[in-house]
Amino acid sequence: MPLLEVRDLAVRFSTRGKTVYAVNGISFDLDPGDTLGIVGESGCGKSVSSLAMLGILPKPAGRVSGGQVTFDGEDLLTLPDERLRHIRGNDIAMVFQDPMTSLNPVLTVGRQLTEALRTHLDMDKKEAAAEAGSLLDRVGIPDARQRLRDYPHQFSGGMRQRVGIAMAISCQPKVLIADEPTTALDVTIQAQILELLRTLVREEGMALILVTHDLGVVAGVCARTHVMYAGRFVETAPTAELFANPKHPYTVGLLKSVPRLDAVRKQRLDPIGGAPRDQTSEPTACAFAPRCAYATSESWEQLPVLRELDGATGAAAHRVACWNPVPERDLVAAGIRRPPAEGQSSAGLGEERPA
Amino acid sequence: MSIAEAEASQLAVEQPSGLWSDAWRRVRRNPAAWVGAGLLLFFVICAVFAPVIAPYGPQESVGSLAAVPPGPSAEYPFGLDEQGRDVLSRIIYGARLSLLVGVVSVAIGLSLGMVLGAISGYFGGRVDGVIMRFMDLMLSIPGFLLAIGLVTLLGRGLFQIMFAIGITTVPIFARLLRGSILAQREADYVLAARSVGTPGLRLLTVHILPNSIAPVIVQATLAMATAIIDVAGLSFLGLGPNDPGLPEWGKFLAENASRLQNSAHLVFFPGFAVVFSVLAFNLIGDALREAIDPKLRA
Amino acid sequence: MLRYVAKRLLLLVPVLIGLSILVFAYVRALPGGPAIALLGERATQESVEAINRELGLDQPIFVQYLRYAGNLIQGDFGSSVLSRRPVVEELLERFPATVELGFAAILFAVLAGIPLGFVAAKRYQGVLDNTSLVASLIGISFPVFFLALIMKYIFAVRLGWLPSIGRLDITRSLEHPTNFYVLDAIIAGDGAAFVDVVAHLLMPAIALGTIPLAIIARITRAATLDVLSEDYVRTARAKGLTTAVIDRRHILKNSLLPVVTVIGLQTGLLLTGAILTETVFAWPGVGTWMLNAINNRDYAVLQGGIVFFAFLVVVVNLLVDISYAFLNPRIRYQ
Repeated sequence: MPLLEVRDLAVRFSTRGKTVYAVNGISFDLDPGDTLGIVGESGCGKSVSSLAMLGILPKPAGRVSGGQVTFDGEDLLTLPDERLRHIRGNDIAMVFQDPMTSLNPVLTVGRQLTEALRTHLDMDKKEAAAEAGSLLDRVGIPDARQRLRDYPHQFSGGMRQRVGIAMAISCQPKVLIADEPTTALDVTIQAQILELLRTLVREEGMALILVTHDLGVVAGVCARTHVMYAGRFVETAPTAELFANPKHPYTVGLLKSVPRLDAVRKQRLDPIGGAPRDQTSEPTACAFAPRCAYATSESWEQLPVLRELDGATGAAAHRVACWNPVPERDLVAAGIRRPPAEGQSSAGLGEERPA
Repeated sequence: MSIAEAEASQLAVEQPSGLWSDAWRRVRRNPAAWVGAGLLLFFVICAVFAPVIAPYGPQESVGSLAAVPPGPSAEYPFGLDEQGRDVLSRIIYGARLSLLVGVVSVAIGLSLGMVLGAISGYFGGRVDGVIMRFMDLMLSIPGFLLAIGLVTLLGRGLFQIMFAIGITTVPIFARLLRGSILAQREADYVLAARSVGTPGLRLLTVHILPNSIAPVIVQATLAMATAIIDVAGLSFLGLGPNDPGLPEWGKFLAENASRLQNSAHLVFFPGFAVVFSVLAFNLIGDALREAIDPKLRA
Repeated sequence: MLRYVAKRLLLLVPVLIGLSILVFAYVRALPGGPAIALLGERATQESVEAINRELGLDQPIFVQYLRYAGNLIQGDFGSSVLSRRPVVEELLERFPATVELGFAAILFAVLAGIPLGFVAAKRYQGVLDNTSLVASLIGISFPVFFLALIMKYIFAVRLGWLPSIGRLDITRSLEHPTNFYVLDAIIAGDGAAFVDVVAHLLMPAIALGTIPLAIIARITRAATLDVLSEDYVRTARAKGLTTAVIDRRHILKNSLLPVVTVIGLQTGLLLTGAILTETVFAWPGVGTWMLNAINNRDYAVLQGGIVFFAFLVVVVNLLVDISYAFLNPRIRYQ
């Protein structure tokens, strides 16, 4: 039984009579120890999905309009808030994007750490303080015990994010959701934070959902990646497979937008033309069609659903929601796959050529 | 139509709108603005058309002197005062004075304040320092107290009072404009204009001022509300305009405070006249502020 | 933090000096003059000159200022032209009444205004929110003296529930060690007197405090709305904390910071309102004292009153600045 089972989650926002269909039916499973990446550009609904799962959508505008989120046998979407409160921070925890604004400026870091401990694990002041100290230690903050008395503004950006992570793992949650944890940080710090996440996941046996717009981030951390567009998953696969053999034009576009040192041919940076879809209506056809070079009449009229490609199944399955997946030769032309040797199929970069 | 056309039409961009039309639309939608505008219109009509609307003159005795002035009746909807004058007429004529004071005092304060603020903001340096120190000193004294002080010094003529109240608003406008100019001065569009050689004065009048004007308008409206309350307060303390011709609401109220027991109407009608006229300005000023400052829209 | 306080205290000196010069110049510039006020319009030249010599008004301006400044520092503000008593003595007698009234008013405004603003923000665009917005707009459109008169009419004249004159029933006697009647009643252990004092204080305090209440409620609402949309509130929710804890520790603690500043700024409003309110309720405070002085050209008293007010405003502002710096860790720990 998976730890977390999401089925057809849909979220809507309504303000002043206008409705935005932020999430339009996403499904996935999460087992203990899984590392799942959700990739997509701003506004595709990825952050909103996490907030919806925890029941902390901005009210009154945000509303879950469909689906189930089953955790430990209970549907989180139908639980009363009091019950949900016990799960938040305790069984499922979240790390947010901007460490500058995600920490309360008028409370000491120690206080913010012990809060969750005392609320969920019923520790007393002393125990909680000791635990907080060792948490800061674990996330790599020097002088941990002294730093407990400091305020957030006395930490650097990277340190603050470590504090945020410490807060999230304090009650040893089963699932950690990291929403763009490195976006607001310098590149060198990014690497450190990702390394920290990797280590914690391994040591704690947590499941991780990493939400980001940056493909480079999921490459190092997530075993499996889902690509999200206009509120739906358009491609899901084990991360290595996704990079080696992308099938959805959007995924290919994302990969092409990233300059690569090991590109097969010298390619010009190829941005994805057009703008993200205006989500004021539910998609009834392929949402990517306006920006897609491969769009056909089917794309404009029918909503594509996730379909398994031939090959691996189960957790290693590669699924695409596309009427016209990108053909091999275009992948080669884009420098994503190497041209085939005589009588052989093309190979992904870094892949061994099939014997 | 096909999906393609439907999708395409959804991608159409909204009509581009300037800052002003945007703000104007927001004001129009605000019911408070309408109520305020309506009230203001009512008082303006009273003031402008007083001789036509008021049934009697402001000093005209229509009844006899009474120890206990009669309250509202069918013939005199607001009752009579102790000299037998029609209260309704006096209130209507009083609008002239209140609106006059509101507008003129703010006009004085605005012009002086804007000049000082412009000089301070534009030239900066020592000039700025001196002017702002002085403004701070003025601001450390509560406006009404400053007005009392100035009126005591200058005398109780109508113009002196309007001047005194106007002076109390100068630091606010000066600070506002200076702040606006300072913020705009470093703005990209100003730097762009300067980089193509736009001369200073033109920079100020054509580029900086129009963008700084919005908060000033809001403040001016609210200052008018305060001015009316101030002049009523001054009259209440016996420091109001000593012109016996027009019945200032605050003075009317003050003279009859002792008659509260038996002739409360002589206190309530002028009092509520002040309240509603001030409310009009507050509603409009508030609506303008909400329309102009995007941050306030939650 | 200590450096900040020291710096602010040091800045106090030039401000006080500037104020003393201003007050000096102002009082000198007033029309008429003590001589005329004392002797009347028909005074002879000699008697005017005699009085002028007595009051030191025939010396050059600079000398006069030095005498004045020297006197100020020694606490000599001159004597009231009307009562012939030292201004300082009368001031000490009168200021507790005003301070007591002002304090009661601000207490009322804060205790009622902050919860109101907070709840209005939490139930954004709910019934309470919209009502309170309208009510506060109407509230600040009332001249404080009109509000006072209305309350007097309803509660004293019509209903007879509350007294409307002075601080204490004239038939009652009470020792006044502090001149703060509330404290005096407590010190004397006189329960009935205490009730009487509070009853007299109730209407003026509420009348005076209503406008600050409206303003405080509005600012609290705005500040709370700002805080509600902050990321750290979302973090607190994601941690699974209870609503009460989030409200208290995360929302209120942050939204009260700007409110503290506003409360200090209300002092100016309070002083203004005090003068007007004291008049309506015949409250024997500094306001009525100064008004009397203005009408009677008692310039020594006027001077004393202005200095008192100015000093109060400056000190309160200083206290507000310091408490804000203390409450905001970003400033406290530089």
